[in-house]
Amino acid sequence: MPTPTDLLQGTLDLLILQTLALEPLHGWGIAQRIQQVSKDVLQIGQGSLYPALYRLEYKGWIRAEWGSSENNRRAKFYRLTAAGRKRLEAERETWDRLSAAVALVLGKHAEASS
Amino acid sequence: MITRFMTWLRYLLIPKKRDELDDELGFHIEQSTQSKVAQGLSPAEARRQALIELGGVEAARERCDQQRPGWWFGTVVQDFRFALRAFRRNPAFSITVLLTLMLGIGSTSSVFSVVDRILFRPLPYQDSDRLVSVGLVAPIEPQEFMLGGSYYEWQDHQKPFIALTSEAGVEPCDLNEVNPVRLDCASVENNFLPTLGVTPVVGRNFLPGEDRPNAPRVALISFALWRSRFQMDRSVVGKIVKIDGKSTQVIGVLPASFEMPRLQAADVLVPEALDVAAQRRSDPGRPLWAFARLKQGATPEQAKAELAPLFDYSLQLAPAPFRKEVHYTVRPLRDRQFHDVHQAAWILFGLVMAVLLIACANVASLLTARRAGREREMAVRAALGAGSMRLLQQAVVESLALTAGGALAGVLFATILLRVFILIAPEGMPFLSAAKVDWRVLAFTLLASALCAIGFGMVSGMTHAPMDALTSRRGRGIRHARLRQILVAAQIAASLVLLAGGMLLTRSFRNLESQKLGMNYQNVLTASLSLGETAYPDQAQQMAFFERLERNLRWGPGINAVAISDSVPPGGYHRDQIYASLRVDGQPRLASGTGGNVAWRWVTPDYFRALNIPLIQGSGFTDEDLASENRFVVLSSSLADRMFSGQNPLGRQVHLASNAPAGQDPPFTVAGVAADVKNGGLAAGEEPEYYRLRRNRAEDWDRGGVVIVRSNLPAGALKNWMRTQIASLNPTLPVEIRTLQEQVTKLADQPRFEMLLVGYFACAGLLLSVIGLYGVTSFLAVQRKPEVGIRMALGASRIDIVRLVLGGAGRMVAPGIVVGIALAFALSQALSGLLFNVRPHDPITYFGAAAILAAVALAATLIPAIGAARVDPIVTLRED
Repeated sequence: MPTPTDLLQGTLDLLILQTLALEPLHGWGIAQRIQQVSKDVLQIGQGSLYPALYRLEYKGWIRAEWGSSENNRRAKFYRLTAAGRKRLEAERETWDRLSAAVALVLGKHAEASS
Repeated sequence: MITRFMTWLRYLLIPKKRDELDDELGFHIEQSTQSKVAQGLSPAEARRQALIELGGVEAARERCDQQRPGWWFGTVVQDFRFALRAFRRNPAFSITVLLTLMLGIGSTSSVFSVVDRILFRPLPYQDSDRLVSVGLVAPIEPQEFMLGGSYYEWQDHQKPFIALTSEAGVEPCDLNEVNPVRLDCASVENNFLPTLGVTPVVGRNFLPGEDRPNAPRVALISFALWRSRFQMDRSVVGKIVKIDGKSTQVIGVLPASFEMPRLQAADVLVPEALDVAAQRRSDPGRPLWAFARLKQGATPEQAKAELAPLFDYSLQLAPAPFRKEVHYTVRPLRDRQFHDVHQAAWILFGLVMAVLLIACANVASLLTARRAGREREMAVRAALGAGSMRLLQQAVVESLALTAGGALAGVLFATILLRVFILIAPEGMPFLSAAKVDWRVLAFTLLASALCAIGFGMVSGMTHAPMDALTSRRGRGIRHARLRQILVAAQIAASLVLLAGGMLLTRSFRNLESQKLGMNYQNVLTASLSLGETAYPDQAQQMAFFERLERNLRWGPGINAVAISDSVPPGGYHRDQIYASLRVDGQPRLASGTGGNVAWRWVTPDYFRALNIPLIQGSGFTDEDLASENRFVVLSSSLADRMFSGQNPLGRQVHLASNAPAGQDPPFTVAGVAADVKNGGLAAGEEPEYYRLRRNRAEDWDRGGVVIVRSNLPAGALKNWMRTQIASLNPTLPVEIRTLQEQVTKLADQPRFEMLLVGYFACAGLLLSVIGLYGVTSFLAVQRKPEVGIRMALGASRIDIVRLVLGGAGRMVAPGIVVGIALAFALSQALSGLLFNVRPHDPITYFGAAAILAAVALAATLIPAIGAARVDPIVTLRED
């Protein structure tokens, strides 16, 4: 099972941005959402989640504000900004290209070895 | 882009609040715990696992913090503050380091400001590296020159140069206006400025038609003269001024940066206005100094090779005795300009680099010593999570903080030091008075100190502590010891080199000062005059002026002797001719070669009395000789020995111009033999010399004269009195009055300056090395305290302990001294040009330098050694 360190550099950013594209969430929510959607394959360690959130916030791609959670607790919600949306598109494109390329290489490789 | 920058700036200025992150993480842990409780874990266990998953609140907080833009900058600020706090805690250490750096950086910067111009700065001409000085070299004039008889042939037929140009020297001239001033007028060829690539700031250059005999007189003036005399008025161009009484039109102003290629002072440029056809025919022709611009890509060596046929032509023209001794040269203009000081400048540069290295080594060794003492602290910081890069960064920041302070103090110190240099420097040092600490020098300082800082920050930071420093009691700092011992040995070696150099120059200077001049220069005043061309057009009038002046002065109060000559020993200008042109009646001339130079002067009879030069044979010139038809000469003792080889020269006839056409070589009667006098400066040997009597005949006189007065009056009063006496004859006559003492002292200025500089560096180097040695020894002594305690507990006496510490220091000092002597031996050859009557390998100097260094080193180690011996074994053993 991939651990957070196995995530490609920058992939975590993409996952967070994608998750936040649907709705604003707090840190815990982001981690849970990614885990659920990936069917427990991707588990985001909190040790890297919060630094990543801070980094994205400093870059101006997401914005944090305090709100109250489902169970009425004070929590910090992250929301995608316009710059973040643009960034997400760019990252998606890069990812698509990259994964397609990797798939190509793997496919060819598989044919050669079979 | 702008929004990103604004975000960056916002977060840089307003850091996030710490508790915000705490709240967020708290919420996270709570949620995590709840979900684990929902999975069936007990609340306590759920919370424990949630915390484990988070992996440490503090670490997470740290990593979030690191995302902040400018975080790195913050750590530098933090390190800087930390460093300052640490320096305040240990002021002795900080002050030592600061002083060391101040000395090192200050000396380096001030010397760099001096040598910068000489070694590195471009000359104020266009593409100055393609400019060369071209000319003949002969024993009478070791710096290259040209002669009119050859120059124009060279100019017509040379191939390697784009252009060849010349100047005919600088002579005093008078600007006769409301306030007459004496100026320096340089005569140059009309292509002089274009060849150098200099354009007048106002007006134009000379036209070829203006550089002819009897052409209308024109002149270019210097920027300084334009400013001081004409208030930078542009309408000066076209103005008619009187130069030496002749109407001259000003046609332009030179740039402020302009200087003559040979660096003579020049206020006015006038055309050479030579009769080229006559010069071509003449032999040897007017002396000229030639400069040329090389063609693209040509080197001086190639140019020299291409000039070989032209040189052969010149050789044909040279009189036979000269042919073997004449050479020619083509060399870069910079080499010509800094002929004498080039070497001195490099030596200076080397010295100061040695001092800077000593200073750097010192700071490095102090820092490593301190760092070794802080190993435990470092180990604690590493254990708390500081990475090795972070520790290294802190070390570099610490040394940067130190060097920044040191550089600041150093620049201040350099400014002061430079003032002192300029104050004590002789006039001959080109550009010294203009040297200042400018941005280039600052850049150099910053570079030097940054290299220093990063260098020793790395050295001290790299050897950072392993974890076991926390547990181990022994072995602290032992790994650093070797490095530091090598540094100290290197310092000792470098300072021995400096000390030996300083002592060599001091000895040389003392030899120079105690030179016997062969005359008495106390209570002698000289006044140099040059009579203007309009007021004194012929020799009869010139003679009349000088004779009246002599009469007026002779009967003045307290005057013992008055003489008029055309030059005075021991240094400076005098007339010269080759020995081969002298001949004793009835003896053959010298068969081949020039026979070297013979100095000579025109003098009046009292010359020998005025300067107290003893007459060995004969009575010298008498007043009766003055009216005589016959000519008289007094020979110096060495010249008499050479010409007459032991026979009595008195009354014999000699010829002084036997190369001249028949009829122009009258016989002179030898009237006496005078003792030898230094006549080539203090260091050079004395040339054979003779004195011609200036009789009461116009043919013996010319425009120039030096009035020599011996008197018991105080110099100041005498100077004023002489000035009024001269003014009473001609109030507009510029005159330079100096005591002979001043002139002699001035000759020693250059060596004194060199001695003081090298002495200063030797002292600075010695001081720094001693600080380094003391620091390291006392540090090692403290390190070995437990060992000393055990030794003493086992029965070692205090003497044994002192011996132990001294032995340790000896192992650093002894190799340092040995290496230093070897280095000094190898390097002192470079000084040989500056030394007088001291061999560069003078054993006394080396022995003395080593002894001084050893003594100082002993003193520096004795204090910590005695301190170590005071250790109470009980206390140290308990400490661990």
